[in-house]
Amino acid sequence: MTQTAKAAKKTTSAKAKATTEAKATAEEQAVTSARKPAPKQKSALAFPFTSIVGQEEMKLSLILNIIDPRIGGVLVMGHRGTGKSTTVRALAEVLPFIDRVKGDIYNRTVEQYIEMESGVKGAPVLKTSEVKTEKIPVPVIDLPLGATEDRVCGTIDIEKALTSGVKAFEPGLLAQANRGFLYIDEVNLLDDHLVDVLLDVAASGKNVVEREGISIRHPARFVLVGSGNPEEGELRPQLLDRFGLHARIITINDVEKRVQIVKLRREYDEDPEAFLKKVTRQQQKLQKEIVTAQKLLPQVAMDDAVLTDIARLCMNLGIDGHRGELTITRTAHAYAALQGDKEVTMEHVRKIAGLCLRHRLRKDPLETVDAGEKIDRELAKVLGEAEAAA
Amino acid sequence: MIAFTDIVGMDLAKQALMLLAVDPSLGGVVIPSTVGSGKSTLARAFSDILPEGTPFVELPLNVTEDRLIGGVDLEATLASGQRIVQHGVLSKAHKGVLYVDSLSLLDSSAVSHIMDAMSRGVVLVEREGLSEVHPADFMLVGTYDPSDGEVRMGLLDRIGIIVPFTPVNDYRARKLIVSLVMGKRNEEDTQDELRMLRGIIGAAREQLPHVSITNEQIKGLIQTAISLGVEGNRVDIFAIRAAIANAALGQRTEVDDEDMKLAVKLVLVPRATRMPEREQEQEEMPQEEPPPPDEQPQDETEDENAPPDETDSDADEEQEETPDMIEELMMDAIETELPDNILNISLASKKKAKSGSRGEALNNKRGRFVRSQPGEIKSGKVALIPTLISAAPWQAARKAEKAKKGIKTGALVISTDDVKIKRFRDKSGTLFIFMVDASGSMALNRMRQAKGAVASLLQNAYVHRDQVSLISFRGKHAQVLLPPSQSVDRAKRELDVLPTGGGTPLASALLTGWETAKQARTKGITQIMFVMITDGRGNIPLGAAYDPNATKAPKEELEKEIEALALSIQADGIASIVVDTQMNYLSRGEAPKLAQKLGGRYFYLPNAKAEQIVEAALS
Repeated sequence: MTQTAKAAKKTTSAKAKATTEAKATAEEQAVTSARKPAPKQKSALAFPFTSIVGQEEMKLSLILNIIDPRIGGVLVMGHRGTGKSTTVRALAEVLPFIDRVKGDIYNRTVEQYIEMESGVKGAPVLKTSEVKTEKIPVPVIDLPLGATEDRVCGTIDIEKALTSGVKAFEPGLLAQANRGFLYIDEVNLLDDHLVDVLLDVAASGKNVVEREGISIRHPARFVLVGSGNPEEGELRPQLLDRFGLHARIITINDVEKRVQIVKLRREYDEDPEAFLKKVTRQQQKLQKEIVTAQKLLPQVAMDDAVLTDIARLCMNLGIDGHRGELTITRTAHAYAALQGDKEVTMEHVRKIAGLCLRHRLRKDPLETVDAGEKIDRELAKVLGEAEAAA
Repeated sequence: MIAFTDIVGMDLAKQALMLLAVDPSLGGVVIPSTVGSGKSTLARAFSDILPEGTPFVELPLNVTEDRLIGGVDLEATLASGQRIVQHGVLSKAHKGVLYVDSLSLLDSSAVSHIMDAMSRGVVLVEREGLSEVHPADFMLVGTYDPSDGEVRMGLLDRIGIIVPFTPVNDYRARKLIVSLVMGKRNEEDTQDELRMLRGIIGAAREQLPHVSITNEQIKGLIQTAISLGVEGNRVDIFAIRAAIANAALGQRTEVDDEDMKLAVKLVLVPRATRMPEREQEQEEMPQEEPPPPDEQPQDETEDENAPPDETDSDADEEQEETPDMIEELMMDAIETELPDNILNISLASKKKAKSGSRGEALNNKRGRFVRSQPGEIKSGKVALIPTLISAAPWQAARKAEKAKKGIKTGALVISTDDVKIKRFRDKSGTLFIFMVDASGSMALNRMRQAKGAVASLLQNAYVHRDQVSLISFRGKHAQVLLPPSQSVDRAKRELDVLPTGGGTPLASALLTGWETAKQARTKGITQIMFVMITDGRGNIPLGAAYDPNATKAPKEELEKEIEALALSIQADGIASIVVDTQMNYLSRGEAPKLAQKLGGRYFYLPNAKAEQIVEAALS
């Protein structure tokens, strides 16, 4: 069972019970739903992250976001059939664990829990030591295109409302995604109203529900991961801007690499469990690297000179606002930590600048120069200046 | 019911379906074919050769999102007072076949859901208080008529086999098909043949795990995919599976050359974006033959929508480079003569350019669910939760009342007053159909403007969900360069290589534009605008595409043709603008006349900037 499944199952177990009973009634009455309800099948195995050949840009972007979730997520855009969704779904297995209040549907930390629940409306005042916690894997929540707003934001629990007259809140996907990853495949096809909701929540880190007579707010801070093929449609500029990193993915045209991909895939398809067993060690190794980098991150420092260069780079590229600089700074820190370095240099910045800035360049419909090339060119200029000054 | 074995012709399509029956992990089969070729009959007969009890679900084109994905079963839920889940069509096809006739006409949101289910093998239902996962591992069989438009590439990418398009022209074959439809065959023969075929496929399924493919063969398929310019890496797996399935059908343990050729034909060639040069291909993979020459006609039809890739060869690029450069110099020369009134026009239209509310309308059927209101069950989609909430307070009273009358009640008593209907906000946007005159010497100039305008419109218009289509006209007839699309990348790519010069088939352009508009309407786009970039001087009649003598038609007839078309287009509720970019000393007032007949506005913008055309279109 994937980690997503475990997390999702917990939050829905109560509801699932009610539904099961309902299904039994339905079968007796033999109404329209003649088909036997299928068991919860969230346990599909995923192709392992470390066996994905190539597409380094996307893999690096995802890993950097695990190390520092404040980077703000990643948008993966590119050709069809290049393993975008496979890679994101494989992520769950290499994610580290987090502490949350035991059984909490919002995955809150003890501090968050006490702040929101302790002493509110006559509830007892809680001490940190009184709250039980548990370790869960960082949740990865899949937001399907056909999701309705009530399932995304949460809504009144209709069964409770009818049977016991209690107005209870049934949390949605945003609650489940708190402190985890929210993944939207074909994000460029997402309905406008859901995009509005996401923009709102992503900006505030809170989900506010005011509907059907309930009023609730809960933390919803997540790493937004989107993927899609630009040929299917464009992304709204506001949403584009929300993504910290923008990874591009293209068809691999190296025959040897493609043979390698095919071989691994065929081996996996033949016996997924045996395959996963074989790669356990390399999966664990990556997980360990990520945890080590996470621990190192607070000690990573950046010289003011580097910061100046970053600012100059963004200015020369004509990037509006400060999100560009901020993203580069955070991402460079995370990248340095991943490399085991305690000092951010321009070499770190060079590796990640394209990821951070590509989608922030002003669009010119007739521009033929690739955004990545433009960034590299400006970067070289900035570095040249820096060397000359020194 | 016509059986699989009764169908004459379409051997490749039959072979494709048999491969799918042997290895369902090929994902599916798409069969493009003209009307009346028997493609849907064949597709429906597919279940004949599948193991008994395999689900076969036909997807209606007008399927709603609820029915597709699944959701709360309203009737059962209201009757029992508890949430009853109903599986959607996608899940009903689990471990079986999902069949779509006229695949290219399917609603784009339905296509997205099918794509999503195919990539996961399950349907995630996150709707109306429901959070469930339903299995949906199905084979997709789709048929369509390419003249209805193309199937979305993203969907084709998840379908292993695409049968090459061959129009059925053979009279005798048609006659046979017809006589079969009339039921002239012996039922017993049919049953025997079917039994045999099922036996072959059953045996092939067992053979499948014992078929091996060599590394060299895998490499050969991959190299072919690369030299054909096929996008993505997923095709490699499909090609390998197709080759193996074919070997299994022949009860062989090793993939041979025939299997490889079939895999190239059914999996790779239909996705080609370029034709490889022969020498180069022979060098790279001596054991693999280039696609057989009988593939050519099919590739030409594909090429209409996918002009040759820019990376074709360096020599070609250089040749195209030269006129472009001259064009560039010419542009600079014209730019110095820019009249001053351009700025005024663009400012004037800026004020008028509306945004925000355009394209939004409240309705009961589609779009975004905004709120609920009292209404009748039949008049739209019932908003379940608001309905139940309004019914909840009265339950005790109603039950008591019914009990008094001796009527047994269900868990819930809902009266018609409780029913709330969903209101939707539809934001389908506008389709801008650019028709660009690619004839004569100024064609490159116009194409450039159109290209800029299309790209700029797309980049500014996501919020409205606008789409653009691009039609060029020159020589004998108009051509759809870009079917309705939202993609800047695609628009740019399609516009990059384009021949210019020749006559001006204006009538053909109007007709092609009108057809594109009609197709778009079947997909739910209601607002359509023609943006014609031309001097309005048509000199090639509609008939020219079929009859070379037609070009000699008198001028009056030509004008009549254009007028009749323009008036019909206006009557059909299509908005138009005509942008004349010709220097005015050449103009004789044809463009304003065209605008008048179309009931649209006329803009005189010599050397217009892309933004000005966009503003004109939005005003």
